[in-house]
Amino acid sequence: MNRIQTYWRVWRLTGFNALQVAFVHRGTNIFFLLGKMFRFSISLLFLLLIKQSVSTLGGYSSDEMLVFFLVYQVIDSFSQALFRNVYVFGNQVKNGELDFLLIKPLNPLFRILTDKPDINDLLFLLPTVGVSFYLLSTLTISVTPVSILLFAVLFVNALVIALALHILIVAIAVSIVEIEGLVWLYRDLTSLGRFPVSIYHESIRLVLFFLIPIGLMLTVPAQVLLNLKPSVGIALVFGITGLLLLSSLQFWKYSLKKYTSASS
Amino acid sequence: MWRFRQFLSSLMSLTVWSVLFTSQTNVFGYNRAEMISYIFMAAILHGLVLASALYGLAERIYSGDISSLLLKPVSLFSYLAIEEVADKGRNILATLIESGILIALFQPEIVLPSAYTTVVFLLWAAGGVILNFLFSLLFGTLGFWSPDTWGPKFLFFIFLDFSAGKLFPLNILPDWLQSALFLTPFPYLTFMQTQVFLGKVAIDKILIHSSALLLWIVLFYLLNKFLWHWGFKNYAAQGQ
Repeated sequence: MNRIQTYWRVWRLTGFNALQVAFVHRGTNIFFLLGKMFRFSISLLFLLLIKQSVSTLGGYSSDEMLVFFLVYQVIDSFSQALFRNVYVFGNQVKNGELDFLLIKPLNPLFRILTDKPDINDLLFLLPTVGVSFYLLSTLTISVTPVSILLFAVLFVNALVIALALHILIVAIAVSIVEIEGLVWLYRDLTSLGRFPVSIYHESIRLVLFFLIPIGLMLTVPAQVLLNLKPSVGIALVFGITGLLLLSSLQFWKYSLKKYTSASS
Repeated sequence: MWRFRQFLSSLMSLTVWSVLFTSQTNVFGYNRAEMISYIFMAAILHGLVLASALYGLAERIYSGDISSLLLKPVSLFSYLAIEEVADKGRNILATLIESGILIALFQPEIVLPSAYTTVVFLLWAAGGVILNFLFSLLFGTLGFWSPDTWGPKFLFFIFLDFSAGKLFPLNILPDWLQSALFLTPFPYLTFMQTQVFLGKVAIDKILIHSSALLLWIVLFYLLNKFLWHWGFKNYAAQGQ
């Protein structure tokens, strides 16, 4: 328990620092927030226009398509808010700051992943969740208490997948240093999850369900929430998530063994 | 990596629209061939018009990095224009390869324009390239006054992606929103080019839109001239 409190105190402190930085650069942050809201509104507008003209898309009703998008939006914003520090990890390797994190009495991954939580994404979550709840109440979908409960479990599982993928990114970054392209590739792959992964070409679908499991992270929770048959069985989802997390942690350990601290 | 990201974006658009057309023959006034041609053309124009080597210009100005360029026996704007042309060449090559892969994956039926509309399309595409170059220069001037250029740039890129119609064509939007967008120069970067390619611009409207494109180019040229002149008066080459 004491250990958890320590981690919580550290996260609270780094979160407070991030908030202070956000206030110093408030002009820039307002632009970021406006940009995110604009992108969200345009995607919603597109789906609402589709809803007016098309009844089904890839076997899903237009209302269900909206749910897939909202689930993507909430899970993506949440993981972005939590793991934003990954974006600057390349610099931390370059300038030797990683060494300072390695010698601290905390798991280095904790600070590598969660330092500087994204205040914009945290703020953006408020309207996103609000709009999502409002829209969900207006849609013709079948949501039950059981499906909500199972969705909540899969939501946590989605964050574990996001965590595992971010660990993989930082593990690669220890060797190649340049990380920005990799992070943006992850972002673009997740953005494919704005629509159900099951609509893509079979080979892409296989990659997105089993290799880089964006489908398990975004599509399956939405399917479960909608009481639809998930594209991948729930037990298999947990199995793949566990395997992904274990292998990414192993890869991280392997990368650390190869790390030579050349920049310090 | 940036090109691969563009490829993923095109892949998503093509998949969504292909799936939409499995149950419909006409969506928002587009048939399947027109919409797929639209997505391909939007992706090619994205690579040709919107890709730019100058998006980091503001940082180069603020850090004083351009001081060395100012000392070269070539004007700064010629140097930047050459950088831009080289970047376009690289992007066009990558876009053609990406399009080849997407054509192999989707085997689309593509609408081809007449000789007249091809000429207009090429002229408008060149106009779009110039307009985007002027946009990039204009954003660069932020670096004369502020180190915080990422916020406005982020908002601009989001708006650019939308107005370039990468996911969907602008003419599926409600009329009031389309009218508002046409009060800005954004539809003239790539959207109008795709429309002329698909033969969706009436002959009598071509002159009006050509004049509008030319007007925006002149306006942004003058605005750049004023802001760069004003910026250089403030420029102190700090950090060099």
